[in-house]
Amino acid sequence: MSTDEAKNAIFDSIRRNLAASRPFDAVHCESHEPAAPPPTPPRAAFSNELLIENFRDNFEFVGGKLRVVADEPAAAAALLAIIKEIKAEKIAVSDAPLVESVTGSLKNEAEFVENAPREFLFESDLGITSAQWAIAETGTLVLESDAERHRLTSLVPPVHICLLEAKNLRQTLGEVLELLQKNPSRAVTFITGASRTSDIELTLAIGVHGPGEVYVILISDFGFRISDLEAGDGP
Amino acid sequence: MNQLTTENFDRNARAALGDAQLRGALRNLAVTFGTRRKSAIATVDDWEGLRDRARAIKDETLARLDVYLAEFAENAEKAGARVHWARDGREACDIFLRLLKEREATRVVKAKSMVSEEIHLNAVLEKAGIFPDETDLGEWIIQLAGETPSHIVVPAIHKTKAQIADLFTEKVGIEKTDDVDALTKTARRVLRERFARADVGISGANFAVAETGTFLVLENEGNIRLTTSLPKTHIALIGIEKIIPKFADLDVFLKLLPRSGTGQRLTTYQSLITGTKRSADGEGPDELHIILLDNGRSRMLAHPTTRQSLACIRCGACLNACPVYQAIGGHAYGSVYPGPIGAVITPQLVGIEKAKQLPYASSLCGACREVCPVKIDIPELLLHLRAAIAEGEKEPVRRRTSEKLAFKAYAFAWSRPVVYKLGTKISRLLQKFVAKGDKIGKQNGLLAKLAPPLGAWTAWRDAPTVAPRSFREIWKDELEKKD
Ligand code: SF4
Repeated sequence: MSTDEAKNAIFDSIRRNLAASRPFDAVHCESHEPAAPPPTPPRAAFSNELLIENFRDNFEFVGGKLRVVADEPAAAAALLAIIKEIKAEKIAVSDAPLVESVTGSLKNEAEFVENAPREFLFESDLGITSAQWAIAETGTLVLESDAERHRLTSLVPPVHICLLEAKNLRQTLGEVLELLQKNPSRAVTFITGASRTSDIELTLAIGVHGPGEVYVILISDFGFRISDLEAGDGP
Repeated sequence: MNQLTTENFDRNARAALGDAQLRGALRNLAVTFGTRRKSAIATVDDWEGLRDRARAIKDETLARLDVYLAEFAENAEKAGARVHWARDGREACDIFLRLLKEREATRVVKAKSMVSEEIHLNAVLEKAGIFPDETDLGEWIIQLAGETPSHIVVPAIHKTKAQIADLFTEKVGIEKTDDVDALTKTARRVLRERFARADVGISGANFAVAETGTFLVLENEGNIRLTTSLPKTHIALIGIEKIIPKFADLDVFLKLLPRSGTGQRLTTYQSLITGTKRSADGEGPDELHIILLDNGRSRMLAHPTTRQSLACIRCGACLNACPVYQAIGGHAYGSVYPGPIGAVITPQLVGIEKAKQLPYASSLCGACREVCPVKIDIPELLLHLRAAIAEGEKEPVRRRTSEKLAFKAYAFAWSRPVVYKLGTKISRLLQKFVAKGDKIGKQNGLLAKLAPPLGAWTAWRDAPTVAPRSFREIWKDELEKKD
């Protein structure tokens, strides 16, 4: 058995069966109105403020925790507060420049390991990455492997913190797919909230194989009243 | 191992009907997923338009499947994947065995994959001395219990947490608990060790994009990401119907699948995988093998009615909405794929002789057609298969045109004007009743009390889609005006 032989046989079968279908296709059309695909609805423009608000709503809807800060030093402070709160000691970090510069000043606070070996990852308390894109309409983070080694850091530790620049926010899934399609990374990961399952009596359980908590520290450097958004922000 | 076969459908179904606990679980499924689905599809502006787009994309793909399939394989190989072809389950299993043997792999982790169930991969590997670990919580439970999935999205829906607790106590040695969080944590702990030492990860795929050679896996737990990131070798088994032409088409399908299946706007994780490492120190497996499987699929292309089966994106919505599935559960079907979609694809996959009873396991109520995100006309397919059985055919798609036409009229009359008209009238009546109940319910919680008997039904009726006057009636008026 050669797989080439199988390949040819499969293609042959596809073509033969499609050809056999032709006389029926004509009949079928009469009784089935062909679904005329409606055009994609036009894309609305969103202000940065609205984008952030939408992202917040949808990210919190899936259990995410959002901090909005004005710059990198503020991001480092917010990050440190979370590290203290969850008492993280072993921290896996991705190789993204933003992660490097934000965690730079915190090196004495915990053990930060970039490119962590498996043993460290499996024992770590926290993983920190950035994200190349985020989708406001679903509260989704999008990470590309060509830009950042993110696959394990965002997955194995029990908590994931993502540093996100406001300029990477888009409203829709469609916009982000358009940005990705030219040359998709070897692995593109979409993350919407914490790992979850409903496999036992449809009861929701969080953190089954991936992180049970996901934080986003959103760095938004445009004139924006952070206090408005921070109101009602829980731990 | 459950000795269930399609031939025993009647007996299995009768036994299932007597199982009160099972019916409770299934009602919970119908109500929970039905309600969630409804609120999730309300977040899309034009749900109907989206379904039409999805179907049009699938129709276009299937009409030129050879072209798109070749394009996918070429682009996946360009990106570093190795593509294999399997005509049937045996060939696919042989490829798996060969790849595992060449790598001297014994520790295999598996992500939930219905197509691997279809080819009975686990049983074949076990015969060869390789015991793969299922890592999806539901699949793992089923594997520990020595059973088969009873639902394509929530495989262990038929099991209670008490049964699962007993199972974990017996097989993993934990103290008995019926705390779902504790049970879940047990799975995390035990399976992490398996992930850490696995040589090979096996997954399926939800979509495969011809344009880029990318394939996608959707999930909530993270076990698929671990399976496809940690081991040195990743093998993906993909049915040839998973192809879609363009990367941008994902916009449509990613909106439809999670909403229809679990009522989520997106599942927690989507992994889009395109080939292998681009630099030596890159993350992830060293090699990626893609096995493209036919196993009876290309045969379904031979007729537009059967061809629809290949548009299925395995969301599970038709199972959740089906009154027959709700009454008997998945195991009674005795087939790998249960429910309405199982009743139509099983006879086509395994041969009509072996699954004669399945096309009759439906009241043709049309609920499946109503919820299907790709608008597969399952009642039409069921009638098509019934006719094939009545005519004593082995191959459901090879009928002569004249007979075909006669049947067409019959099927059309049956599945549309009579059943459909009646169906919409009933649901409109029910809607009035339920709308009233809703008002009262808001005041004193009456609707919550009404929920058990009516719940399963109302949960699946999409109130806005049943217009005060049906399209059919309006259309008729329009025609008369023109006359
Ligand atoms: S037939 Fe339609 S509703 Fe049923 S699983 Fe397939 S896509 Fe979903």
